[in-house]
Amino acid sequence: MTTTPRPDRFPAPNLRPETPAPEGWRRHARATALWSGGIALALLVAAALVAASWADELPDPVATHWSGSGGPDGFSSLGGAIAVGLGVGALCVVVFSAITWFWGRAASTRRIMASTTIWLAGLVSLALVGMLDQQRGLADAHEAGSVGGVVLLAVLLPLLPAAAAALLVHPDPPLPATTAVAADARRTALRPDERAAWVGRATGRALPAVVLGSTIVVVAVAVASQLWFLLAVAVLLLVLLLSMGAFHVRVSASGLTVRSVFGWPRTTVPADEVERADVVQVSPTRDFGGYGWRLGREGRTGIVVRAGEALEVTRTGGRRLVVTVDDAADAAALLNTMAERARAAR
Amino acid sequence: MIFRLDVTSGEPLFAQLAAQARLAMLRGELRPGERLPAARELAEALDVNMHTVLHAYQELRDEGLVELRRGRGAVVAGRPPAELDAVQDAVAALVRAARSAHLSATTTTTLVQEAFQR
Repeated sequence: MTTTPRPDRFPAPNLRPETPAPEGWRRHARATALWSGGIALALLVAAALVAASWADELPDPVATHWSGSGGPDGFSSLGGAIAVGLGVGALCVVVFSAITWFWGRAASTRRIMASTTIWLAGLVSLALVGMLDQQRGLADAHEAGSVGGVVLLAVLLPLLPAAAAALLVHPDPPLPATTAVAADARRTALRPDERAAWVGRATGRALPAVVLGSTIVVVAVAVASQLWFLLAVAVLLLVLLLSMGAFHVRVSASGLTVRSVFGWPRTTVPADEVERADVVQVSPTRDFGGYGWRLGREGRTGIVVRAGEALEVTRTGGRRLVVTVDDAADAAALLNTMAERARAAR
Repeated sequence: MIFRLDVTSGEPLFAQLAAQARLAMLRGELRPGERLPAARELAEALDVNMHTVLHAYQELRDEGLVELRRGRGAVVAGRPPAELDAVQDAVAALVRAARSAHLSATTTTTLVQEAFQR
């Protein structure tokens, strides 16, 4: 496996032979943290500069908050508005980039974090610029109109660069295991010529309940406040959450595949990268801070749709994947056996 | 559940799959209302033709063990699990007898199949 050299951003490891080269994933994690964080901060700074350049056209103070009925109800100086936007945005970007830097072991983690970072920076930047744009030429900020359209645009438009960021993230290079499958991990007894497959589904009630609940709340708020743009947010919420609601899980000779019932998101663990597979008990809030495609402690990736029994796969490169499925013992045993076969086939 | 296929055995692939699903239902591992894997998914995972899996599911449907519904796939029919203890005891006795008579598993299975066809 060769990597394309990117001399400008990375110190070449062979320049300082006394320090060992970082593990493969760290290079990708740091690179992703730097470019996603860098682009996000640049967006925020650009928005701040655009806002500052409008100082002469804007009322003083400017409106910074809108009530449910559409009129402004919070005000601050232009400098204060820019500082809050820049500060909150930059803080989030720094935290997200730090998570990518330290825990971005798996490409899926780097992808989620990079796109979240870009989306959030886009949201804050567009909200700041859009809300101020509405007030240019006004003598008094109280005359500012509704910002429903701005909010809708600020939520939706950054989804495009966020998706692009996810595609830009370097995928995990193949990293076949160099050690045998853990001896104490369970196995499935298979005859040498026998084929085998385990097919399951990760489903739970918690996420559909949350989806339904939050959608009802958003729709109710939209109807009550007549902020119709909220309906688009509700639809977006529904699609996003439903795509995380149920997953097809499959163990076969090629390894583990987990795929949303929508077809995306999905992930695969090749059999030759499995170090061991086990059954674990998952507490969604304690272990992963909630439901869906999550990042847990120590960079553990969780596909969590309910509490309880789950398949945990320890993969090369310190990566771990947890999927809440019934009958996880069979899945783990077969995956270990297939991992062993993949090594024997090399 | 784990589905297995032995491509070297003389038994047709669809029959092997159907037999495993049947046994899983008898043992209560597949409960009424539970869905069997989507035919396409299981076929991909076992590297066989999708029609092989569909053939197995159709056989199970003809036996009244599953219902095939458009869009929902094969669902285990609501039949109570059979009382297996008596059969298992008899099988254990049969295996003991076969061993002491130096009969192979294949020969014994053939005898059982002949008995069924009578």
